[in-house]
Amino acid sequence: MMDRPLVEAVNLCKYFKTPKGQLHAVEDVNFKIYEGKTLGVVGESGCGKSTLGRTVLRLHQATSGQVLYEGEDILKYSKRDMHKVQRNMQMIFQDPYSSLDPRMSIRALISEPLEVLNKKNELSSAQLKERVDHIMDMCGLPSHYSNLYPHELDGGMRQRVGLARSMILDPKFIVCDEPVSALDVSIQAQILNLLMDLQDSHKLSYMFITHDLAVVKHISDDIMVMYMGQVVEYTSSSELFANPIHPYTKALLNSIPTIDLSRRNRERVTISGEVSSPINPAPGCRFAPRCPYASEKCKEGHCLKEVKPGHFVSCTEGN
Amino acid sequence: MPNETHKDDNLLEIKDLHVQYNTDDAVVYAVNGLNLSLKKGEKLGLVGETGAGKTTLALSILQLLPKKVGQIASGSIMYDGEELLGKPDSYMLGLRGRRISMIFQDPMTSLNPTKTVGEQVYEVLHLHFPNLSKEQKQEKVDRMLQLVGIPASRKGEYPHQFSGGMKQRIVIAMALIAEPELLLADEPTTALDVTIQAQILELMRRLKDEFNSAVVLITHDLGVVAEFCDNVSVIYAGRVVEHGTVEQIFASEEKHPYTAGLINCIPDLTRDEKRLKPIPGHMADPRHITTGCCFADRCPHCMEKCRTTPPAMHEKDGHLILCHLYDTTKEAE
Amino acid sequence: MGIFSKKKKKPLSEYSTGELILFRFRKNKLAMIGVAMFAFVTLFILIAPLIRPYSMVIKQDIANKLQGPSAEHIFGTDELGRDLLARILYGGRISLFCSLAIIGIAFVIGAIIGGTAGFFGGKVDTILMRVVDMLMSVPSALLAMAIITALGNGVWKLVLALSIGQIPRFARMVRSSVLTLRNMEYVEAAKCFGASSPRIILKHILPNGIGPIVVSATLTLGSVILSISSMGYLGLGVASPTPEWGTIISENKVNIQYYPYLGIIPGICIMLTVMSVNFIGDGLRDAFDPKSKN
Repeated sequence: MMDRPLVEAVNLCKYFKTPKGQLHAVEDVNFKIYEGKTLGVVGESGCGKSTLGRTVLRLHQATSGQVLYEGEDILKYSKRDMHKVQRNMQMIFQDPYSSLDPRMSIRALISEPLEVLNKKNELSSAQLKERVDHIMDMCGLPSHYSNLYPHELDGGMRQRVGLARSMILDPKFIVCDEPVSALDVSIQAQILNLLMDLQDSHKLSYMFITHDLAVVKHISDDIMVMYMGQVVEYTSSSELFANPIHPYTKALLNSIPTIDLSRRNRERVTISGEVSSPINPAPGCRFAPRCPYASEKCKEGHCLKEVKPGHFVSCTEGN
Repeated sequence: MPNETHKDDNLLEIKDLHVQYNTDDAVVYAVNGLNLSLKKGEKLGLVGETGAGKTTLALSILQLLPKKVGQIASGSIMYDGEELLGKPDSYMLGLRGRRISMIFQDPMTSLNPTKTVGEQVYEVLHLHFPNLSKEQKQEKVDRMLQLVGIPASRKGEYPHQFSGGMKQRIVIAMALIAEPELLLADEPTTALDVTIQAQILELMRRLKDEFNSAVVLITHDLGVVAEFCDNVSVIYAGRVVEHGTVEQIFASEEKHPYTAGLINCIPDLTRDEKRLKPIPGHMADPRHITTGCCFADRCPHCMEKCRTTPPAMHEKDGHLILCHLYDTTKEAE
Repeated sequence: MGIFSKKKKKPLSEYSTGELILFRFRKNKLAMIGVAMFAFVTLFILIAPLIRPYSMVIKQDIANKLQGPSAEHIFGTDELGRDLLARILYGGRISLFCSLAIIGIAFVIGAIIGGTAGFFGGKVDTILMRVVDMLMSVPSALLAMAIITALGNGVWKLVLALSIGQIPRFARMVRSSVLTLRNMEYVEAAKCFGASSPRIILKHILPNGIGPIVVSATLTLGSVILSISSMGYLGLGVASPTPEWGTIISENKVNIQYYPYLGIIPGICIMLTVMSVNFIGDGLRDAFDPKSKN
């Protein structure tokens, strides 16, 4: 069992129809996430990372490809079968304000997933209450919060509520969509620590979506860098930061402002131009228009090559 | 009487500023005795978390606090030797956009969607230099757009036709077209992606050299400050708790515990640690005035006197720290 | 009067969501005034037979025509010498209950159409909204006239005819509020743990979107009372001799200039009713919203 990944995506694609044409939001993505491990998905806004997370959970219907959960393709599941795996696969959202229904108390919010899945009343209301209290305690929410409403809490506490709501189903896999980017740095650290503690105690697997490379380095085992729907580099966290290969990854790493003053006068390789949206894209590398090393052959197909064991990259120019 | 020496070296001098918001529920003390000085051409970073009073400070300088609610209770804001507090609106109108400009966080909402970007930049110039001929103004607009990296051919387009980064460039063009002496930039890159942020910071760095305006960069991102600014003021609960050069703030051993906490809690690419060290607790409630040090409740070095007496500013080579920790070292010497 | 009683003394924190809504509603003074006013008006209308026999509505007494308020005729008499109090009491039954029924029917049907269109989007949305547009393009008075002409006169036919004219506004309003709400992350979160569509609509979208719609429904009440009367004026709908408030005003419009009480008294009745329902609507909106003070 050790070798089978908990969640695996095979050639996953998600296209949206827009008035201007087909938007290739997620193109041919493959990844494997093992039990207790974290996959970081990095990229700029509009690169398809959030769409990927939602497609994996079937919040969006995939256009093609497979999502395997414990080896079974959940995209083929009926609604009823889906209900069974649903409790194992949860999500935490970016905006701690809009992801909590403002009309519900904290207790009602956290217990709702259980109520939905507890249609046959397997749990008594006392058991339900006990479970909510336990989860609140685990996520660092004082028990007197249970009757407050979301607007009475600050961003960090709300994010804890969001986390508690996912944790109550005792999931094995959580998609975290930018869970800390709306928070202040001191609060961000608290939530990141909480996420890592829960991972240790519950053997959770995360898909951690973010634009913040420092955060992703801190929390991830593997990292996947996306650009306009395509994966450009996919390898372990340490390898990526020690030995970035793709020109986009390099530019991204170079762009991060750092408090390390020795890097203050580094040679800056700011890439010009901006991300556009991949509507009816031409074949080939989508980074090419901004890439300093672009050439004719970039217009040919786009595929990941394994340059080292476990290090996949779509381009080796500029090395 | 304006002090002559001040007029020479300090463009902006804020002394003991107190700003409060009088809401229906309570009085919110947003800025509590803040001191700040800025030289001509200086790049100052204002760092702090949400609710520290950074934006309130910028709005106080421009006197754009919400009417009736926001109130400058006491203090002084000297701009180029002139006291701004108590000046009539007509005076401030001539100052805003002409000598002091502001860039807001969200480029999506700071542009008028029904006017072309060329018109919007032109309007600022027209407002402050009505005497220039139309051709001169048009030429200046074209050059400015070129400088911020917008081809002049696109000036007839509307804001929605530009991406976020491009919009922020247009906002910067609007802020700089009148060649102000002071630019207040409130989180100018927070809404942007890192590669775009790098472009915008590079642009601001270049333009600063071109126009030699002083820049106050308001941000929560220590990295941005470390890369862009000369000097840094760390703000907590409406006060400057530490001020110094970038080297003093980031490289020196002597730090305010809050600054140290901030630096420790961001995951950094250059360090490798398993657990982050968050600052415990929450920002002090701005509806109450603390008796002792405003950071006492969250401070790992909190002592008896921190709860009772407000700390004094400790200075060493221009590095200011507002903390009782450095009282003892002083006494020991 | 359950909502007036205050026997429970348990701490706020133990209240269920429903009890909290009731608690917030009760603390709203204006809403309670609205409830009191509405109860007052309804009470008089219900006990009308105890005050005036029905016969007085139509009993003409030309000798005493156009008498101002007096001990015998508290609200005075009209140009045929009929007792205005009796006419208002019995007329209120039609005005009040018909208008409430019209709003209720339009609200429910409109909410179902608008909610379905907004939530599911796509083709469902297009088809439903085109139907609504078709309804909207016909002036509501004309539509009501056509329906009544086809079905014949009668109170319930009138209610049906007028409520169809009100459906589009509710459908559009509900749709636009659902459109904004269905993209909220908490709706996505609910989908994520497997909540069904009806549950999402009832539990997350409806409570968050209902506030402004309820207020607008209460505001519509006044105009509905008047449109019932204009139907009456055209001889459609409620068959005389039972008058309703709008009819009372319109049949006296010639004399209002010299005998203002003929307009003022029924006018005040309409105003009191509309105002009370409005206060109740405002109170409900605030009660549903946990962010409101108190």
